[in-house]
Parts: sequence; C-alpha cells; structure tokens
Amino acid sequence: MQPVFRYTNLDTPIHRLHPLVKLAYVALTLVLVMYPIRPTDMPVLLIWLGLSAILWTVARIELRRFATLFKILLGTFLFLIIIQGFTYRFGHTPLITIGHLRLWEADLGIITKEGVWFGIVLSIRVLAAASSLPLFVMTTSTSEIMTAMDKLRIPNTATFMFVSALSFTSLIFEMWGSIVEAQKLRAFDIDRMNIFQRAFKAYIPIITPLILLLFRKANDFQIAMETKGFGAPIKPTEIEVLTVRWSDYVWLAFIVGVFILCTVVKFF
Amino acid sequence: MDNHNLVNLQNVTFTYEGDVVALSNLNLTVKKGEFVVVLGANGAGKSTLCYLISGIVPHIYGGRRRGDVQVGDIDPWDEPLYNTAQRCGLLMQDPEVQLFMPTIKAELAFGPANLGIAREEIARRTKEALELVRMNGLEERNPRDLSGGQKQRTALAAVLTMKPKILILDEPTSQLDPLGRWEVGEAIEELKHKGDLAIIMTTHETEEILHLADQVLVLDRGQTVLQGTPAHVFSQVEELDKAGIKTPAMIRAQIKFFSFPNSSKNLPPPIKTSLTITELANEIQTAVMDGKLKVNPSITQAQPNPQSLSTPAEPILEARGLTVEFPGPPTVTALQNIQLTIRRGEFIGIIGQNGSGKSTLVKSFVGLLRPQKGEVLFKGQSIHNLSVGEIARRIGLVLQNPDYQLFTSSCRDEVRFGLQNLGIPDDEIPKLIDEALDLVGLKDEADLFPFRLSFGDRRKLAVAATIALNPEVLIMDEPTTAQDHRGRYQLADLALELHKEKGSTIIMITHDVDLIARYAQRLIVLHAGRILLDGPTAEVFVQIDELKKSFVIPPFATQLAMHLDSIGIPPTIMTLEQLFDYFSPLS
Repeated sequence: MQPVFRYTNLDTPIHRLHPLVKLAYVALTLVLVMYPIRPTDMPVLLIWLGLSAILWTVARIELRRFATLFKILLGTFLFLIIIQGFTYRFGHTPLITIGHLRLWEADLGIITKEGVWFGIVLSIRVLAAASSLPLFVMTTSTSEIMTAMDKLRIPNTATFMFVSALSFTSLIFEMWGSIVEAQKLRAFDIDRMNIFQRAFKAYIPIITPLILLLFRKANDFQIAMETKGFGAPIKPTEIEVLTVRWSDYVWLAFIVGVFILCTVVKFF
Repeated sequence: MDNHNLVNLQNVTFTYEGDVVALSNLNLTVKKGEFVVVLGANGAGKSTLCYLISGIVPHIYGGRRRGDVQVGDIDPWDEPLYNTAQRCGLLMQDPEVQLFMPTIKAELAFGPANLGIAREEIARRTKEALELVRMNGLEERNPRDLSGGQKQRTALAAVLTMKPKILILDEPTSQLDPLGRWEVGEAIEELKHKGDLAIIMTTHETEEILHLADQVLVLDRGQTVLQGTPAHVFSQVEELDKAGIKTPAMIRAQIKFFSFPNSSKNLPPPIKTSLTITELANEIQTAVMDGKLKVNPSITQAQPNPQSLSTPAEPILEARGLTVEFPGPPTVTALQNIQLTIRRGEFIGIIGQNGSGKSTLVKSFVGLLRPQKGEVLFKGQSIHNLSVGEIARRIGLVLQNPDYQLFTSSCRDEVRFGLQNLGIPDDEIPKLIDEALDLVGLKDEADLFPFRLSFGDRRKLAVAATIALNPEVLIMDEPTTAQDHRGRYQLADLALELHKEKGSTIIMITHDVDLIARYAQRLIVLHAGRILLDGPTAEVFVQIDELKKSFVIPPFATQLAMHLDSIGIPPTIMTLEQLFDYFSPLS
C-alpha cells in the first residue's frame, strides 16, 4: 500500500513553484487559522479553502487523496460539531433536546443550532489547516525541501529528520497493514471490534510489533544514511538549484492577495 | 601493510556488548580486484565482519575489539563513519531501508552531496553508476515504484557514487526473486570484471558465487573453519555440512562422478569451479564412453520424489474464476480468472516471480483479500461466509516475516494468543502449547522472550503459533527467504512431518527450486496473475520453455539430466541423489 500523501513526480505549475512560495502558503494558512475564531468566519475560511482547492486542482492531485484527508478528519469534525452543539455558550436555538443539565451558561442537555454552526466553522478551520501541508509534501521533492530549508537556514539535520519522517510514513503504512493481517491469521480481528474494544486491548498486538520493527528499521536506516556520509561536518552540495521565476512572484502575489482579502473580510 | 592489500584484518576478535563473541581470531586480506566470499549459517559472524570493515562497529553498534583492522589507509575504529564511507561502501540485504529519496537521481546524489562533491562530478558519477547497473533512463523514477531487483541495483548504484575502493555486499540477493537475483548478480559480475574494487560478499547462495570468487572464507560461530580458493574450500564437503553451508550442486556432482576414489586424501580433488552444465554433462558422457562410469541398468524409470497421491482425495480448497485487483492508479490485476482445486493431503509448491500473484493467491485463500470476481471455497463453502476465527481453525498461513506477529513476552504466550482468540478452554491450552512448541523444537525455549530467538527460530515460533490452531491446510509463504541452508530445510522438514503424520495439506511458496523439487508432489507456476503450469513437480520442471517465461530455472539435477538424455538418463530427475542412483563406478 502506498501512503496517500506521497510526493508525486508531475510537471504542473504547482510542482514547478519555488518551494519557498509553497512554504509561504503553509505559513499564511497557519497564521489565518490562528486568528481568533468567530461564528461569522465561515466566508473567510471558505475563501482560503477555495484557494487550497485551486492549488490542489492545478497540481493535478487526485480527488481520492483529498477524500482520504477528509475521511481521516471526519471523526474530528463529528467530535467538534457534537461537543460544540452541546456546550456552545452562546447557543440559544434548540435543535435537539435530550434533557437539561446547566453548566455555567450552557445547557448540556440541548444541542443548539448556533453550537452546531460553530462546530462546522471549527471543522472547516481544521480542514483548511490540514490541507496545506499535504499539498506542500505532495508537490515538492525531498531534494527541493532540503534546499529550501537550507535557504531558510534550518540545520541540515533537522531538515533531514523531517524528510526521513516522510519516508518512514510509507514504511509505517506498509507495516501496519502487514501486522493487522498477521494477527487476523491468529483469529484476532481488529476490524470487527468496536471503538472501546480497540482502545482497551486491540492495539497492543498491533502496536507492539510495529514499535519493535520500527526500532529495527530505524537502525538499518541510520546505517544506510551514515555510510553515505550523512552527518559529515561538510557543507552539503545543493543538488536542486532553485531559481526564482516570474511565475513564482505571480503565485506569491496571488496567495498573499487572498490572505489580505481574508484578513480584511475578517476584521473589517 | 602491503600496499596492494585494501583490507587487512589480523587476529581480530570482536565481542558485542553483553559479552557475545561474534568473531574470533579472524585473519583476512583482500587486494584490489579481488572478490572474497564469506559463507556461514545465520549467526556465524558474517554481518559483524561487514560492520567491522565498514565502521558500523563501533560507531553504531558497540562492542570490544582485539587485533588490527586496516581499511585502505585507516582503521575504521578510530575514524568517523563519513571518512570510512569514502573508502568502503556497504550494500545491505533490505533495499527498502537504503532508499529514502523521491527519485533515483536524488538517491544517487545523496551520498556525494553529503561530502560536498561538486554538482558536475555528482552528475558524472550518477551517470556512470546507472550505466553499470543498467538503470540508465530511469533517473526520474521513484525508487519505491521499482521491482525488488531494480531497488537493490539502485541501492548498489547509490553506494558506487561514493567512489569506494572496497565494496561490502551483505547478502545482497537474499530478499530477491530469481529475476532480481540475476539482475543484481549481473551488476556484481560487471564490477568484478572491471577490477577496480576489492569486493567482499556474504551470501548463502553458493551456486551464485562459484565462478566469481577468488577467495572463500567460511565462518562458524565466529571462528574461521575454512579459508582459501573456491576449489579448496568447496571440496571439503563434510566441513561445509558441519558449518551449515550448501555445497554447490556442480561441485557435489564433480566429486561424485570424478573423484575420486583414487585421489590422494591429502590433496584436494581437481574440482573445476567455472564448469557449465553442458561441459559437465559432456565430461560425464565421455567418462561413460571411456568406461570409467557405468549407467546402472537396474534402474529403468525415475521414481518421482516425492510420491504423488495414489488416489485423488476430495477437494479441500478451490478457487473459482478468482480475479483480484488492487486499486491504483494504475489498477493492478494481481490474479486473473484463477481456476484451481487443491485436494486433501497434497503437498503443493507455488513458484513464480515477485508480483506474479503467489502471495495474493494464498491471502485470498484465507480471506485476507476479497476478490473482485470469483470465489474461494473451503470444502465447498465460500470462505467469505466464515469468520476470521473459523478460517484460522481451517487454514493456517505463516507469513514471510515472523516479526509482524510477535508481541508477547514469551514463546508460550505467543502460541497462547491464537488459542485464546479461538475461545479454546483454558485447561486445554497448556497441552496444545506444549505440543506445538515441541513439534517445532522450541519446547526448551517456551519461556524465552521471542526476540531473543534467532530469525530462524522466530519463524519456527510463528509456525508453532499457527499449527497450535490445528488447521487442516498449512500455507507457508516464502519460508526460505533470508534463511540459511539449514534453516530452509528445517521448516520444510517440519511441513513434511505434518503432511505425513497428520495428513495436513501443505502449500509452500518459495523461490528455492531445489527445495521444492525435494518436497512438493505438485507444482504450480504463476506468471502475471495466471497459472502458467500446474502438475506433478517432475513434469512441470521439464517444461523449460514455459518456465523461462517466469524466469524459473529447473533444479540443477533436472538440467543435468536433460543433457544426459543420450546415455539413457530420464529428464524427470529432480535431485542429485536420484541422478547418482543411475550411475555406479566400475569396480
């Protein structure tokens, strides 16, 4: 099984985009989602999500990858919507009433319309934040990431830890699948367990071998890297020559422009 | 040190932390252009030797060393690893852990870039290395999308761009299929012929290195038991057996046919290591014509070994129109319209290249994969109507890597896990655990932490955990991968014992044709998701042209027998013992 957010070697304007511009998009996304949140923020978040959708589309990233991201986050969205539905302190329009349990300003027995809406706004904020880094990872090669990080004066070791973690993700996916299969063969079926069974007992037979295997693989990984001179006190050669083109400025202006628009809509 | 010696080890003893002596009083010198092969069972000290020379010890794995080690102009013990890496390159067994960049080009540039080599020089080295491993044109491919052989060749090329003088190959083909082994073998042969490097290679595949080796070192529990030219080392069959090393069939045949009753015991027999099968067959035929060898007239028909079922039993597993696809892009059709009936009590071998559908087929048998079309029946009942537990009771599948399942603190608990999942009463479980551990020879290790066992024993433990569930069908997926010669036959013997004593149906996936020839009654060859051949093992192995499509080479004995047709040897012979039975020396 291949990891969903693996780098795909395509020739698209987003793949060709200077990594620092893509990093700027990631950074601005983080700034935007750090703004104090209000229920009226939906247009702002939708504008930014629209920008992400444009970037994902231009990068020709398959829809299934976005669908996978959405699926991964679905549990979080439901959690946020339900919790906010019950606990939002400015909620006053009941949607579903289960009972009455007042706690400070909220009635925990009622799901309110305003609470559900606020939960949806929070979910969109999470989605906007979570869609930026995969775009960067899926459209930027490891060598480009390393060169870009070097330009930002981030230490080589830290950069390599980041890109190694990306490599390890695919290994973890593969190992997880193999371990689940191996335990099924001994009549241990995690797929048929409910969430509580999984939480209390199911993961031990899966996670224990995974950790032990990861330790072993990490050792081999270290050998492979260090026997290739990794960690030498020498300035590494930049393999990717990153040149700035006019299109990079255009995209940067576009991204910053959308960011300013979002800020204006939010605060004014 | 002699200038020509690139590696020089004098009286080297190495002890890992925890006082485990891995190498003892080892002496080894390797010159430029020389190809040294290190043989030994698992745990003999081969990898430790590689680590000592390449500086992994002590910089990654700690321990104590006595004696002198010189690698080029340095002692790796005293140098940082990046210094040793410029003299000595290491290729490991598993290509997956050696590839971490998104393209082959970036992978090859990684090492020299770390050393600050100029970009133009890196490009030149990359081109040269890719040409040598025959991967040019694939620079922009993601290493993760390559076949096993291509991955290992990429890893080799990545080592070569470091421009080492010494190349260490630690079982570089042990995890590859026959095609992958051939591809990597070609690249290694090319390096040997160029003569620029000193090459040290550890392996269990003695047949593969016979024509390449200049010097062979045999280790047994850290001690040197044999050292010298291939002809000298491989003529010591008894010593090799004791060390758990497979004597190449070519050598065994020469010793049997030509040595050698008259040869002096003090002199090694005149073994030829670069003989081809055709040349050997010609020599045998000449010996027969000259009256030095006699074809035994009492044997008129080769007896298939092992014997096929005399009367067909009832079907136990059936695949009907089985088609399995993996979603893409691109969508991969792993199995296409497979029609197959497996009968109770059969011992079946399945061979084929990686990606031919072998593992997909057996995973479909146990319900781990759901087919897009068709179905799998166990005694006429669809496998998908059975729960995971019901399947585990009926069909046991032992996967390649035991480490994917071991998680408890003792071997006993490991076997207990499956039994508890099946809801076996607590008072019955200890007896079943003891029986299973006894059967695989791990009764004395019952309370040990599984990861303290050797890899071969961990595999046996995985088998014990499966057979404790008492399945009617036992499937072993690649039980020979990364195993030494002895370990391979231990698992196969275990399967045979279950087959004979309990009447279990056995299905064994392997690339080892010699092993399958010795054990399987029926052989299925898969190719590109389809059944290419299916029949009694001996009959399948003589279909050379069909086998070639799947890069399967018949056992050595079958190939030799085919060349001895003119002197009345039938081609359906599968083992050297069968072939030897046809000959008797003249009195």
